Amino acid sequence: MSKTVLEVKDLRTSFFTRRGEVKAVDGVSFYVREGETFGIVGESGCGKSVTGLSILRLLPEPAGKIVGGKIILEGTDLLQLSKAQMRGFRGRKISMILQDPMTSLNPVYTVGDQIAESVRLHQKLPAADMVRDEVISALRLLKIPAPERRLHDYPFQLSGGMRQRVVGAIAMSCHPRLLIADEPTTALDATIQAQYIALFKDVQKTTNVAIIFITHDFGVIAQMCHRVGVMYAGKFVEKAATRELFDAPRHPYTIALINSVPRLDRKDERLFSIEGQPPSMMDLPPGCRFAPRCSSAQDICVQQEPPEVKVGEEHFVSCWRAS
Amino acid sequence: MAEVLLEARRLTKHYPVTAGLLQRTVGTVRALDGVTFTIDRGKTLSLVGESGAGKTTVAKMVLLLERPTSGSVIFEGTDICQLSPSRLKTEYRPRVQAVQQNPWSSMNPRMRVRDIVAEPLVVNTHRSPDEVRATVQHMLTQVGLMPDHADRYPHEFSGGQRQRIAVARALALNPSLVVLDEPVSALDVSIRAQIMNLLKDLQEQHNLSYLVIAHNLATVRYVSHWVAIMHLGQIVEYGPAEAIFENPVHPYTQALISASVLSAPEGAGPETKPIILTGEMPSPLNPPSGCRFHTRCFKAIPECSTTEPELKDIGEGHQVACILAY
Amino acid sequence: MPEPNTNVGAMTVRKAGGLSRGVRVLRNLGIIIPLVVITLLVLTAIFAPLLAPHNPTENNMLARRLPPAFMTGGSADHLLGTDKLGRDNLSRLIYGGRVSLSVSLLAIAITASIGTFLGITAGYLGGRIDGFIMRVTDMALSFPALLLAMLLQIGIGPGFFTVVVALSILGWAGYARLIRGEALKLRNSDFVAQARIIGASPLRIMFRHIFPNVINSLLVIMTLQVGMMILMESALSYLGIGIPAPTPSWGSMVADGRGDLDSAWWISLFPGIAIGLVVLSGNFVGDWLRDKLDPRLRQL
Repeated sequence: MSKTVLEVKDLRTSFFTRRGEVKAVDGVSFYVREGETFGIVGESGCGKSVTGLSILRLLPEPAGKIVGGKIILEGTDLLQLSKAQMRGFRGRKISMILQDPMTSLNPVYTVGDQIAESVRLHQKLPAADMVRDEVISALRLLKIPAPERRLHDYPFQLSGGMRQRVVGAIAMSCHPRLLIADEPTTALDATIQAQYIALFKDVQKTTNVAIIFITHDFGVIAQMCHRVGVMYAGKFVEKAATRELFDAPRHPYTIALINSVPRLDRKDERLFSIEGQPPSMMDLPPGCRFAPRCSSAQDICVQQEPPEVKVGEEHFVSCWRAS
Repeated sequence: MAEVLLEARRLTKHYPVTAGLLQRTVGTVRALDGVTFTIDRGKTLSLVGESGAGKTTVAKMVLLLERPTSGSVIFEGTDICQLSPSRLKTEYRPRVQAVQQNPWSSMNPRMRVRDIVAEPLVVNTHRSPDEVRATVQHMLTQVGLMPDHADRYPHEFSGGQRQRIAVARALALNPSLVVLDEPVSALDVSIRAQIMNLLKDLQEQHNLSYLVIAHNLATVRYVSHWVAIMHLGQIVEYGPAEAIFENPVHPYTQALISASVLSAPEGAGPETKPIILTGEMPSPLNPPSGCRFHTRCFKAIPECSTTEPELKDIGEGHQVACILAY
Repeated sequence: MPEPNTNVGAMTVRKAGGLSRGVRVLRNLGIIIPLVVITLLVLTAIFAPLLAPHNPTENNMLARRLPPAFMTGGSADHLLGTDKLGRDNLSRLIYGGRVSLSVSLLAIAITASIGTFLGITAGYLGGRIDGFIMRVTDMALSFPALLLAMLLQIGIGPGFFTVVVALSILGWAGYARLIRGEALKLRNSDFVAQARIIGASPLRIMFRHIFPNVINSLLVIMTLQVGMMILMESALSYLGIGIPAPTPSWGSMVADGRGDLDSAWWISLFPGIAIGLVVLSGNFVGDWLRDKLDPRLRQL
């Protein structure tokens, strides 16, 4: 069993607005091992992106605050670090990729300059050509063709898929232990997405980096992740190994979500759709957060929040019915 | 017996690229080249492809937001490109409406929902305010919204609800054809099912035809009767949805399906051998010679770079543009 | 793609929620004071006949250059003193405010209307119409305003309306340019495409879809123009090509007191303070409106 790189325990993050406290992440726990990809899947507003930002402590201030929990990266609790220490970790030990490569890259600097910036910031390399070598090896890791020439390209000269690889190169340039990818494939075409995911699996094999993959797309989860957590209204409702989640989902939300995605291998007659909408994060129902929309909700579901229960090998569910 | 509602014949759209002080034409973006398809009454045709394929350009042609460089769009027997602006407004526009991809920008943020849905009626008919109000109420109920939603502004609704409003607006004039440009891709997964089901129901009730533009193949399979796979401004495969999905012939279609199967939960697994295409999508400014797909094709033979394949029927309406297929 | 609301980079959560109470109180004060000032000005202008203790144009050679009431030699009869012709300073200040304000508001109304109409037309219709309107706008923007004001004075003769014409004849150009920019952006938006799909005419689109969406920018510009117009009118009057005597106007009052700055400084000072106060308040209100309505306008 490879060692654990990141362990998140009962993370709570809130946004303090004029209208009240928005509990974006309300008690989230999970871990990721070396060379493993943990997926966080959920719809918009469920808190998955905020979880990623919390780990990097990049929440918009002053409204966003981590109000509880522990984030332990290889033995260090990130929440105990000073701002300066955390900056040392960002880019070096933990890296992040965002959804839109166009806005992740600065249009006025070359690809080479942007990767070099990351290298120079975190690695004390005495000579300029050592920096250059690092930049080229980062480009090679992401299988960008002709890296020596790519160095001098500007973002606008590259296609969407290439730009996303450059973003990946910047993220991997300092050999981080953990990579957080927030919807990196959403803006890509299907065939480019397939290329990109295959590439990332290779990168992971080569560098043994732990990856947290945040997405709303179950298909990407299926291709990319070893284990998955399904998030709803700020909490995990189910966590399991990917295959197990698809073969034997236990939480009604997971089941409904999987059933509402059309299948490619046969013609569906009617898709299942979940009625209603996710709850407002300022005004959460007292019991299970999914209960108002759940077709199998019972009395206890609306009264009390269900605890997390282990229902299989690395399979956890928060549901009164499932336990 | 299927009745043809709309026919596109050899639609071509080229955009000139100008540069330099004297704005000389230095190149052409060949957005569409000889696109031909038909839409039957009451049926859905989906255009599938990746970015740069030309799907949105086709939508613009059908909606006549821009004129084709050559080719024609025949609606119920009339070539709409030949119509005068006034005939266009009275005879065509009320029959062909649209639902756009982005529910956050397709509605005037300063108009109330009832005015948004009523606008097609106000512009095109002379109905009394009472009749208009009644129609608006009826449309809102049809799409699953409450009558009191009419007084609110778009920003008060979620993405899925806004798409419903957009559908209500599109149907206000009782059109024959609705062009839907990626109608669900901006919505959450669980909401997509709601909207797709709604669209299917409405199609049945009103015998509507849909021209759907999409990139998600599973969605396409769920809603379509006919499918056209587009690549770099051309249709490479065309036919009944079931035929395309059960028996994809063109290598590009196969690659797309492979990439999408991988994206489906049930398709995952180490045994699945994915088709990973090499290289990038060529630019429509400078499409490859011969078959435009040959540079990325895993089945390409030397002839592919010199021969431009035509769409040929391989049985029961299933057409393919690939010299290896026939 | 999921809703933009929870996008990683977007800060849809307003920052004010985390600020301390003290800062928020100060912020609110920052807008209340200017608003109060402007309101008082408007009220004073409306109720001038009731508020002014004297007739502003009545000379009184016996009471010339009297200091304000709070100084030695001053009297309660002339709270802010008198000018070189014995006219009550306070009454002139009040009536002067009325004149300055009405000139400015009228000029703003005219310039905003013309400018917005031309801006929307140019921005939405584009092509040669746009080219033509923009050339005219460029000419208006580059024409020397002061010179034109002088020529108008000579041509039409001095007076209230001459000043309004002088301020309006070139002032619409700034609006036209800015509103055209907004209209250009809106022209490409999805809901405008939708309106075309429905079959709406260009006129309808300009009125019903473009105009309501430029109102925000328009309001901000107009509010910021209040101070600007008052300053311009004051400048014209100071130079003698504005509101003619004996009608008081803040600018002409400052000019009148020019020769007595070392002795009867109150003749110029009070109207000068008034001008400054109004311009400042107008700018504060304009800034606040802009932030409230659309933070993206911050480059204005």
